[in-house]
Amino acid sequence: MDLIKENLLTILILLPTVGAIAAIAYKAVTKDDSSQRWFALIITTLNFLISLLMFTRGVPAVGGFEFEQNVPWIPAIHTNYHVGVDGLSFWLVLLTTFIMPLSVLCAWTAVEKKKTAFFAFLLLLESAMLGVFVTLDLLVFYLFFEASLIPMFFLIGVWGGKNRIYAAVKFFIFTAVGSLLMLVAIISLYYIYAGAVQGSGSFDFVEILAAMQSGKLVLGSQAGMLLFFAFALSFAIKVPIFPVHTWLPDAHTEAPTAGSVILAAILLKMGTYGLMRFNFAFFPDQARETAWIFITLAVIGIIYGALVAMVQPDWKRLIAYTSVAHMGFVVLGMFSFTELGMQGAVYQMLNHGVSTGALFILVGFAYERRHTREISEYGGLANVMPNYAAIFIITTMSSIGLPFLNGFVGEFLIMVGMFKSNILNVTASTNWNYVAAMAAGIGVILAAVYLLWLVQRVFFGKVTNPENKKLTDLNAREIGLMIPLLIAMVVMGVYPRPFLERTDRAIKTIEARVMKSAGGAVEKTELDTKALENR
Amino acid sequence: MSNFLLAQLTTPNADVTLILPEIVVALAGIVVMLYDSFFPKQKAVSGAIGMLGILISAVLLVLMWGDSYSGSAWSGMIAHDNLRLSFGLVFLMIAAMTILASTLWVDIEGVPTGEFHALLLFATFGMMMMAAGNDLVVIFLGLETSSIATYVMAGLRKGDLRSNESALKYFVLGSFASAFLLYGMALVYGATGTTNIPLIAASVGAAKFPALLLIGSAMMIVGFGFKVALAPFHVWTPDVYEGAPAPITGFMAAGPKAAAFSSFLRVFVLGFPLVAGAQAAGILHETWISLLAVLGIITILFGNVAAILQNNIKRMLAYSSIAHAGYATVGFVGAGLAKTATERNEAIAAVAFYLFVYAITNLGAFAIVSLLGQRNDRRADFEDYNGIGFKAPLLSFSLSVFMLSLLGMPLTAGFIGKVLVFRPALESGNVLLVALVVVAVIGSAISAYYYLRLLVVMFFRERAVDWTPPRVPSALMTAIAAAVVAVLYFGLFSNGLIRKFSNAAPKAADVRAER
Repeated sequence: MDLIKENLLTILILLPTVGAIAAIAYKAVTKDDSSQRWFALIITTLNFLISLLMFTRGVPAVGGFEFEQNVPWIPAIHTNYHVGVDGLSFWLVLLTTFIMPLSVLCAWTAVEKKKTAFFAFLLLLESAMLGVFVTLDLLVFYLFFEASLIPMFFLIGVWGGKNRIYAAVKFFIFTAVGSLLMLVAIISLYYIYAGAVQGSGSFDFVEILAAMQSGKLVLGSQAGMLLFFAFALSFAIKVPIFPVHTWLPDAHTEAPTAGSVILAAILLKMGTYGLMRFNFAFFPDQARETAWIFITLAVIGIIYGALVAMVQPDWKRLIAYTSVAHMGFVVLGMFSFTELGMQGAVYQMLNHGVSTGALFILVGFAYERRHTREISEYGGLANVMPNYAAIFIITTMSSIGLPFLNGFVGEFLIMVGMFKSNILNVTASTNWNYVAAMAAGIGVILAAVYLLWLVQRVFFGKVTNPENKKLTDLNAREIGLMIPLLIAMVVMGVYPRPFLERTDRAIKTIEARVMKSAGGAVEKTELDTKALENR
Repeated sequence: MSNFLLAQLTTPNADVTLILPEIVVALAGIVVMLYDSFFPKQKAVSGAIGMLGILISAVLLVLMWGDSYSGSAWSGMIAHDNLRLSFGLVFLMIAAMTILASTLWVDIEGVPTGEFHALLLFATFGMMMMAAGNDLVVIFLGLETSSIATYVMAGLRKGDLRSNESALKYFVLGSFASAFLLYGMALVYGATGTTNIPLIAASVGAAKFPALLLIGSAMMIVGFGFKVALAPFHVWTPDVYEGAPAPITGFMAAGPKAAAFSSFLRVFVLGFPLVAGAQAAGILHETWISLLAVLGIITILFGNVAAILQNNIKRMLAYSSIAHAGYATVGFVGAGLAKTATERNEAIAAVAFYLFVYAITNLGAFAIVSLLGQRNDRRADFEDYNGIGFKAPLLSFSLSVFMLSLLGMPLTAGFIGKVLVFRPALESGNVLLVALVVVAVIGSAISAYYYLRLLVVMFFRERAVDWTPPRVPSALMTAIAAAVVAVLYFGLFSNGLIRKFSNAAPKAADVRAER
C-alpha cells in the first residue's frame, strides 16, 4: 500500500497506458475484438479506486504539493518528471478518473467497429489527461498537453459522424497552433530563469515560481506580456474562449459519445486549469491588467453561446454550445480575482464536467436508438421512455443551475464573486463589475430558456413520429452508469463544503498572488491558520 | 644537401588511425566493387559486406569518442571533435538504413546490386570526409565524392524517364552549386591566406581584404544552401526527389543534406566566429547570421506552404525536407551566436541530434513509401493510401509514428529534436532569432495539416478498391522496426545521445593547427 501511495500519481498515469498496450496485445494474439471493453472498464475503475487514495493525505501547505515525485528525465536539458497534486488539481484528477469508467460504459455497445483501437485510445487519453493535471515541469506538461490531442484526433476521425474528418483536423490544428507558441514561451522562460539565477535554466514550475516570488526573477513588462499571451492563447483555445471556440461545436458534434463526454468533461478543463496554474502564478500583473479582455470575452461567450444554442436544430450541437456558455462562466469567475469567484470557477469546472458529460451521455442513448440528432425527429419521448425523460430532466436542471443541484452553487459563487470584484473600472455612473455580473445573469436565464425548450420539444407532447413509438427505455447498464452522475449532482448541490475546503488554500494563494503581488510572497502564516480554522 | 635529404626522409605526419572509420567505409566500397565484378549475379553479399563495413566503422567511431588523441597527423586537415564524430554516426546510420530499406527495390526492379552498394558506400565515405574535414580542400573533396556517387544513384532506374531527368537535373545544378562553393573557398583563401579552418578563424579579424571575405562567404552560403536545400536554392529538390527511386530519395533527403550541414556548420560557426575588437570579423559574423536567419525564415515558410499543396507523398516529403532544413538552420544560427564553447558544442550537438532524428524518421517513411509504391513508385499518391490503416495496422502505425515525429509531437524523438534546436536560438535573445523560432513553430503548425493528412487518409477514409497488404521482406521490416523503436526510444530517453553528441574528445585538431 505504501508503495502505491508513494508512486500514486505515476501509477495513475501509467496504468491506463499499460492497459491499452495489454488490450492491443490481447487482440493481436487472440484476434478477439469484443472483450477489450472489459479491459478498459477494469483499468479505468481500478484507476478511479486508486485515485481515491488521494484522500489519505490532507491539503498541502501553501505552495506545496502532495504525492510529489521528482526524478530527472533529460538531465542534459534540465527537465524533470515532477508530479504532485494540490487543491487546484485534486478534484480535476478525481473528475478524470471518475468520468473515464462512465465513458467506457457509455461506449459499451455504441462502438461497432475496431473496438480494440477505440478502447485503447480511450485509455491512452486518460494517461495524457492525468499527466496534464499533475505535472509540475513545464516541458513535461507541454508534452502531456500535446499528447492528449492524438487519441482524441483518432476518436473523432475514426468513430465520429459524417463530417468527422473536417472536425478532427480542425480540432487538432486549432489546438496545436496555440500550444506551439506556448512551447516558445516555455523555452524562453527557461533562459529567463537561467539569466535571473545566474545558473542553469529550469522548466520546474515550483522553482520558477519561487524565483519570481523572491524577486530574483523579474519579468520586463513587455516580455511578461508576450509570455502571458503565448500561454494564454493555447489555454484560451482549449477552454474555449469566445473568438477561438469554433473548433468546439464541430468536434463535439462529430465525436462519438464517449469522445464528446471526455472532451466536455475533462479536456476543456485543461484550458482553465492551465490559466489558473500557470498564467495567474507566473504573470499576476499581466493577468490583472488583461482581466477586462477576458471578462468581456467571457460575457460575450456566455450570451453568444446561449443564443446560438437556442437556434440549433441538432440536439448534440445545442449541448456543445452550452459548453461555450458554461466555460464562459468559469473564465468569468477566474478573472474576477475574488476568492468566491475563483472558488466558484473551480467548482463550476467540476459541475460542467458532471452535468454536460451526463447530457452528452444521454444524447448518445437517444442517438444509439434512432441514429439521428435532429430535434424535430423526436417529440413526446416522455411517454415511451419515462425513466430516460426523468433522468434527462434532472440533468437539465443541474445544468441550468437549479438550487440544491450542483450548477447552482458554482454559478452563484461566480456571480457573487463578480459582484464583489473590483477588477474592472468603477466610474461615477457605472460599476463595470456589476455590469459583467448582471450580463452573466442574463446568460443563466437564457440557459433556462434553451434547455427547457429543448426538453419540451423532445420529451413532451404526443409522440408524433411513428418511429419513436417502439423505442425502448433505458436498460440496466444505462441507468447504472447514470446513477453515479446523478448522485454527484445532488451531493455537490447540497453539500459543497468538502469540495470547497480542498481547493480553498490553493485558491487563496493564487488570489493573493494576483491581487497583492507585485512579485511579493504570500503571508504564509495568516493563510495557514485560517485554513486550519476552516477545518 | 643533407638537410634536404632529411626533410625527404621524415615520415609524413600521416596517422592512419585518426581516419580509420572513413578508410574502413571506403575499403568496404572497393571490396564490394571487386566482389561484384567476379560474381555479378550476387544480391545479398555486397549488402552484407557493406553492413559489415558500416558496423566496424561505427564501432571505431564510438571508440574514438573521448580518447585524448593529440597527434599532429594530416597537418591539421582532419578534425577530431564532437561535430565530426556525431555526424559520422549519423551518416553511418543513414547508410545502414538505406541498404536495408532498398532490398525490396533492388529485387523487384533488377538494379545492379553491387554498383548500387559500392556507390552508396563511396557516398558515405565522402560525407564522412565532409564532417571530418578541417580544411576547405578536404571538405570540397568529400563533397564531390559524395555528390558524384549520389548523382549516379538518382539515375539508377535507367529505363525510367523521370529517374533520368532527376539524375541530370541534380548533376547540372549540383555542379553549378559546387562551382559557387569552390569559388567562395578560393576567395576566402585569398582574403585569409589559408584553407585551414582554425587558421581562418584566427585570421578573419585581421583579414587583408574584408570585401573578399564577405563575397567568398556569400558564395559559400549559396553553395552549401543548395546542398542543404535552403530556399531560394531549393528548386531542384521536388523534381529530383520525385524522380529518384524512393529508397534513394530517402537517402538524398537525409544523407547529403546532413553532410552539407556538418561542413556548413564547421566553416561558418567555427571558421567565421565573432572576434572581439575586430571590425571585419564582426561584420562578417553579423552578415552571415542575419543572412542565414532570413534564409531560414523563407525556407520554413516556403517548404511548409508548398508541401500542403502536394498530392504525391514523395513530393510532399521532398517539400517537408526543405522545411526541416529550415528547422535545422534555427539551431545552426543559434550555434553561431553561442557565447561559450560549451554552449556552442551543445548547439552543434542539437543540430546533429535533429538531423539524426530527421534522417531516421525520413528513411523509415521512405522505406514504407517504397514498399507500398510497388514498381517505379506508381502508388505514391495520397489516394493510394486510402483506408489502409486498419488493413495493415503495423505499417500504418509505423508511418503514423514517423509523421508525428516529423510534426514534432511529444513522445517522439522529433519533439526532443525541435526543443533542442530552438533552445540555442532563444538563448541568444537576439530579436531576429526569436522571430525565426516563432516562424518555425508557425511552420510546424502549418505542417500539421499535411502530416496529418496521411493519417487521415490511412485511418479515416474507406478503401474503395480491394487491397491486400504487401508482404514485408525481413530486411525492410528490420529497417522500419529499428526506425520506429529509435523514434519512440529517443522520444523518451534522449539524454544519453544528447550528452554523447555534445561532449566528445578534446579538439585535438584545433590545438594542432593553432600551434
